[in-house]
Amino acid sequence: MPKWAMVIDLDRCTGCGACNVACKMENNVPIVDPDEAQNGRAMFWMDMVATYEGEFPHTEAKHVPKPCFHCDDPPCTKVCPVGATYRNPEGLVGQIYHRCIGCRYCMAACPFTAKVYNWYDPKWIDGAQVANPDVSQRMVGVVEKCSFCAHRLQKVKETADVEGREIQENEYVPACMENCPADAIVFGDIDNRNSKVSRLSRSYRVFRYMDDLGVKPKVYYLARRTSS
Amino acid sequence: MPIFAKCRRNSGLNNHGFLRYRSSMTLSSSPSKRSFLCRSAVLLLAMMVGCALTSDDRKIQPIVYSHKSHIENAGLTCTDCHSSVQTLAAASIPNLEVCRNCHSESLSESPEEAKLLKYVAKAAEVPWERVYKVPDHVYFSHRRHVVAGRLECEVCHGNVQQFTMPVSLPEIPVTMENCMSCHRKHNVTNDCLSCHR
Repeated sequence: MPKWAMVIDLDRCTGCGACNVACKMENNVPIVDPDEAQNGRAMFWMDMVATYEGEFPHTEAKHVPKPCFHCDDPPCTKVCPVGATYRNPEGLVGQIYHRCIGCRYCMAACPFTAKVYNWYDPKWIDGAQVANPDVSQRMVGVVEKCSFCAHRLQKVKETADVEGREIQENEYVPACMENCPADAIVFGDIDNRNSKVSRLSRSYRVFRYMDDLGVKPKVYYLARRTSS
Repeated sequence: MPIFAKCRRNSGLNNHGFLRYRSSMTLSSSPSKRSFLCRSAVLLLAMMVGCALTSDDRKIQPIVYSHKSHIENAGLTCTDCHSSVQTLAAASIPNLEVCRNCHSESLSESPEEAKLLKYVAKAAEVPWERVYKVPDHVYFSHRRHVVAGRLECEVCHGNVQQFTMPVSLPEIPVTMENCMSCHRKHNVTNDCLSCHR
């Protein structure tokens, strides 16, 4: 059984934000009013964390794309009282919206703030968004997060199943990887030692965000520069 | 009994709940308890009939279509009209083009066929009411169930081949309970993400 993981090469990433936009469009992530976004209610599945280092004018900006890390030992699933979030056998941490009661324990438990809460029913700016029919639109009062575009896996799995073969490399790719102009995001089966994601995860440049917590995130970052 | 039967048909109650209710009535012994039960039974019956009258979700189709005559007289199979069963997620409700392949001119004396010919003459799609519908947060693929799972249509849709009236209610209600009972029985995945999205 494959285990899906992602590698984000920060040396390649230009911080353009194409992954954020692609993710929002692909997964029907609601657009939040600017006022509400100021209150910390902006909704992103693929967030862009920006840090600035150094004194002006010698500042350096670092942009880090941050999806859900789909931890191997996820803290969010342990606190969910209704089993709405769980880790499936392929290593994806799923969120089942119709089971979620909106208690937001998982948001508190997640050390990476990868989860977002629907404070309102989704409303779109006129013409700004046409819903993707492959992804359900969430209702008010549920938590949502990056799914590694699991709806794409459903289709890929079916095709592979009917044709009686294994899923090929780069057959199942999330929207952020597909739209990255710098090819900074690599996605695939990390248990397959020949896959690109597995090779990169063994690179000398690799690190994981807050690795000392022991939650074993499955999103690996590559950077030659040291993080301070 | 006829009123019970009518009620059951209208409200879509299953046989199981119906029988369980009756057996509880016959088991009671004391007269006062029995009369109470009788009164509550009448009350319940009234409620059930009321519910059935107000929330009847059966669909009225524009044409009284007989699957039986199309299969037995015309010799069609399911996939002749529901053409994408084996290739796509949706089985497809046939469009006017499919009907017109045979019904370009009158084939019978049927008044229902005359209705169809009016649609054909106007080149307007027949407004079939969709009966089976999964909610948008569920991924259901006919292709997967029919090709990979090798299921027959009858398993979910009932013995459509014998239907002389158009489909108005789902044979098996589209609920997660019904999905899971079959998945459990055949040892198919029960991973949430394999269906939910």
